[in-house]
Amino acid sequence: MLFPTIEFGIFFLVVFAAGWAARGTPEIRKLFLLGASYFFYGWWDWRFLALLFVSTLINYLAGLALARSARPGLRKFIVGVAVVAGLSILGFFKYYGFFLTSLSVLLETAGLTRDLPFMQVILPVGISFFTFQGISYVVDVYRGHVPAERSLPNVMLYISFFPQLVAGPIVRAADFLPQLHRPANLTRAHVGVGVVLILSGLLKKMVVANYLATELVDPVFFDPAAVGALDLLVGVYGYAIQIYCDFSGYSDIAIGVAALLGYRFLENFDQPYRASSLQDFWRRWHISLSTWLRDYLYVPLGGNRHGEAKTYRNLFLTMFLGGIWHGAAWTFVFWGAFHGTMLAVERYARRQIEFFAPAETAPGGIMSALGNAAQHLVGIVWTFHLVCFAWIFFRADSFATAGSYLAGFARWGEASQYVTPFMAGLIVIAMFFQFTPRHLGRWLARGVQHLPSPVLGLLLGGCIWLIWAIAPEGVAPFIYFQF
Amino acid sequence: MLDLLHNMERDLGGRPDELNEAERIDAAATRRAVGRVLRALALVVALLFVFSSEQLVTWVNGFEVGPVQDRVVAASAAWNVLMADTGLTVPAEAVRAEVNELRGMSWPEVRARLENEKARGREGARLLRGALFEEQG
Repeated sequence: MLFPTIEFGIFFLVVFAAGWAARGTPEIRKLFLLGASYFFYGWWDWRFLALLFVSTLINYLAGLALARSARPGLRKFIVGVAVVAGLSILGFFKYYGFFLTSLSVLLETAGLTRDLPFMQVILPVGISFFTFQGISYVVDVYRGHVPAERSLPNVMLYISFFPQLVAGPIVRAADFLPQLHRPANLTRAHVGVGVVLILSGLLKKMVVANYLATELVDPVFFDPAAVGALDLLVGVYGYAIQIYCDFSGYSDIAIGVAALLGYRFLENFDQPYRASSLQDFWRRWHISLSTWLRDYLYVPLGGNRHGEAKTYRNLFLTMFLGGIWHGAAWTFVFWGAFHGTMLAVERYARRQIEFFAPAETAPGGIMSALGNAAQHLVGIVWTFHLVCFAWIFFRADSFATAGSYLAGFARWGEASQYVTPFMAGLIVIAMFFQFTPRHLGRWLARGVQHLPSPVLGLLLGGCIWLIWAIAPEGVAPFIYFQF
Repeated sequence: MLDLLHNMERDLGGRPDELNEAERIDAAATRRAVGRVLRALALVVALLFVFSSEQLVTWVNGFEVGPVQDRVVAASAAWNVLMADTGLTVPAEAVRAEVNELRGMSWPEVRARLENEKARGREGARLLRGALFEEQG
């Protein structure tokens, strides 16, 4: 059940009406939302409901065991078992085929042939997201950031709550579980934020991402050797916008739907293409994943506390594993390793610059301000192109395709086939919104929250009607569903 | 699991009396907000039924074959014809036609359109100046 479909519209209407009708009995409301979430997940493939439940149960029991044990060694053991169990489930479903294929190629290269136990393993939708949420819960209980939850339905609802179940944002136990212990409220602010986010998400996904995918990105990446350099350049810009609009569109709708049900999720994107460094980019892109990687991987690895060399190693390892999390393919591994390497290079370069040319502490004149602005602008352009370079490997189905894509940048003489004014316009408009005031959404939400219901209905209905009329036919799945 | 039952009993049993003033205010505000959103959503459904009836047809055509489904498909097709006959599908078709024209536009056409706009602007300015001179004269 995809968000921008009539099925989901009907599902949401029922959940909204019945969920709020049960507000007076919070436990029944939570059970209802839990049932709705399992129904939502079962709509894809009911066979994986058991997997979702088992994964949750492991984390729930680990949480209870942590609450009952005081010995540090035992607590470490419990958290270790829970994390390994979660990662084993994820590893089997996501990486089993990849691992065996890679092993088979390696053995063949070494002149050895073996019968390997290949199996057709179906990837359960959203497994990477609910596994990470489960780990987040156990580790937060272990660290004392959140008390162990005694109610199994609460943990089940935290992990399976349908707005974030299949493609995030990755919600932290410390953010969500306390909300389950308070009576849910729907305020004017919830309504304003929810409506604005749902509409912006639908527009991003159904119009911008879908048009860019079908009319520019898919054909260019299908056979990069058949097009010229201009198509390839605009194609990768188009993909940068497509993946942003696709994923942030999903996050917007998820956060908006949760808001209308009375729950608050944290922001997942913050105008990432206005970042002036890669570090800045990762503070703005898929914030729930980058903060998860920081708190549960980078910091436990030692972070920046053990000298420069280990900091670079930790940066690289974090991004490398972040790349593997995205998908079982060497192109994703390269994507993560590239980001990790460039983050380390950027840190090294910044430290060298600070050492040889320390920043002035006194306020400078107009020339200094102009210099800073120019430096900032160069940083934005440079970061955007680094990110775009890495997107080529993220989007390409193999290194051969990525290589063919990069080689095509030499063909500047060929006429463009796919860069139409419409495509260029979509990219320019989407880029423009990366540089609008940061609180534009909040201002719009403040405007919407006081509208009377007929005006709110007309606005919401009119916008959905317009988006439907403008959007291409059919709904493509969200890119991040495959992760 | 038992604590869940305990909580539920407490919630079902004595909760209303235990509500403090702030919770009562929150509950009243929530009731109003839910009512407001439900009324708005009802209007959204009505608007989409009327102005996007072809989306309904596309959706129901994806149903599996069966006696009930066939009736739903026939009813939605009849509804769409009715909406088309009364001209209520025209706005969506007009928007789609406009978007398709934009999609099909080439760079020379964009240039030609921009030049046309410029020429119209110049003509407008010339006419305006003429009108002003006549007034002054």
